[in-house]
Amino acid sequence: MEQQSPQDIEALKEKLKSMSPEELKEFQKKHCIFCQIVSKKVSAKVVYEDAKSLAILDINPANPGHILLMLREHYTVMPQVPEEDLKGLFVTAKLLSNALLRALEVKGTNILVANGPAAGQKAQHFMIHVIPRSEGDGISFVIPQQELNQKQLDALAERLRERMGTREALASQKQVYVPQKKKEEAKPAAAEPPLDDKPVAGPPERQQEEKPEEGILEDTGQKKGGGNLDDIADFLAKNG
Amino acid sequence: MADNCILCGIVDGAIPSKKVYEDDEIMAVLDLNGAAPGHTFVFPKKHHTIIEQVPNALVGKLFAMANKVSTSIFESLDIQGTNIFLANGITAGQLVPHAMLQVIPRREGDNVKLSWEPRQLTEEEMSTVELKVKEVVDSMPLPGAAQSGQKQKPKSGGEVIADEENYLVNQLKRIP
Repeated sequence: MEQQSPQDIEALKEKLKSMSPEELKEFQKKHCIFCQIVSKKVSAKVVYEDAKSLAILDINPANPGHILLMLREHYTVMPQVPEEDLKGLFVTAKLLSNALLRALEVKGTNILVANGPAAGQKAQHFMIHVIPRSEGDGISFVIPQQELNQKQLDALAERLRERMGTREALASQKQVYVPQKKKEEAKPAAAEPPLDDKPVAGPPERQQEEKPEEGILEDTGQKKGGGNLDDIADFLAKNG
Repeated sequence: MADNCILCGIVDGAIPSKKVYEDDEIMAVLDLNGAAPGHTFVFPKKHHTIIEQVPNALVGKLFAMANKVSTSIFESLDIQGTNIFLANGITAGQLVPHAMLQVIPRREGDNVKLSWEPRQLTEEEMSTVELKVKEVVDSMPLPGAAQSGQKQKPKSGGEVIADEENYLVNQLKRIP
């Protein structure tokens, strides 16, 4: 891919900002490889399709049979997807998971969504990964456990309940406090090597680590779910 | 309810939990010692060992809740992203024999690893896999078939797999 100059990127950003929502949508579709696959402009190994969605095999899979399931409609991130379409898509994911188990005689599957680059989102077209798994396949997903501050978690739970509208429903229930065993003085987290894509062979590990207490109830009023113009412009500049 | 099932214990209150959502069918609770604050489990109250056994409508509801939780933690915490993760079968990292989704808060450089080394398969390998998968998919009753006007294929095995026949379930039963 040719590197774009800063001027080109600026020009692109300006162009995007002046577009109407419809024009922007068209622009996204034109530059989205998955939209092009959906519209059959680019070929792919399609294993399922219906009026709303399409499932293809990933050409650089985690394991053979790795499925990318997506809506035909272009959404960048999950919160943008209408709820009924989202539910339908995940039901399809479950059924494709069944299909992988039967077709490939594998012993497990993972269903995975990545929202945001920090979570591993690589494509700007919202999709669900359905990944077949076998013993010793070399994939090692690590979701570590660590001691968390239980009082902070109580406060967080309260805040989330409020946000999700269940505060009244649970108000009558006893607040649950889990007794904490005596905690050692918090150490600063050890410097972590940057995340790379090289899995360690073997089953997923559980790591015990202590993290310094963090303030967790920061108001992030400016935060959006992703997909704002600057993000799109940056992405297109790198990948267009 | 199943014996020795930690999630069933949470459902009936025997095991303490920090709930963020509950209704007749599903619950969402914080992982008390999770990857980071906000790490949440979303699961059906009824005991189903694996996701295949969960009725479709309930599957949709669970993931819709995971989406709500994901948005809520993203707005409440200083995080940069979230993962929705389901481990189906021990080989895939399923640790509890009760179907469960995880919503995992993410930051750049954190110690969660949900990545993989992309593999290169030959065209022949890819085609073989494609055919195998398509064959099974075409024989299954899938939700979209009616919508796109395709003929409804005859049901083969239905959506719920009996426990005794299921390798994944048998593996999971051995979890103490």
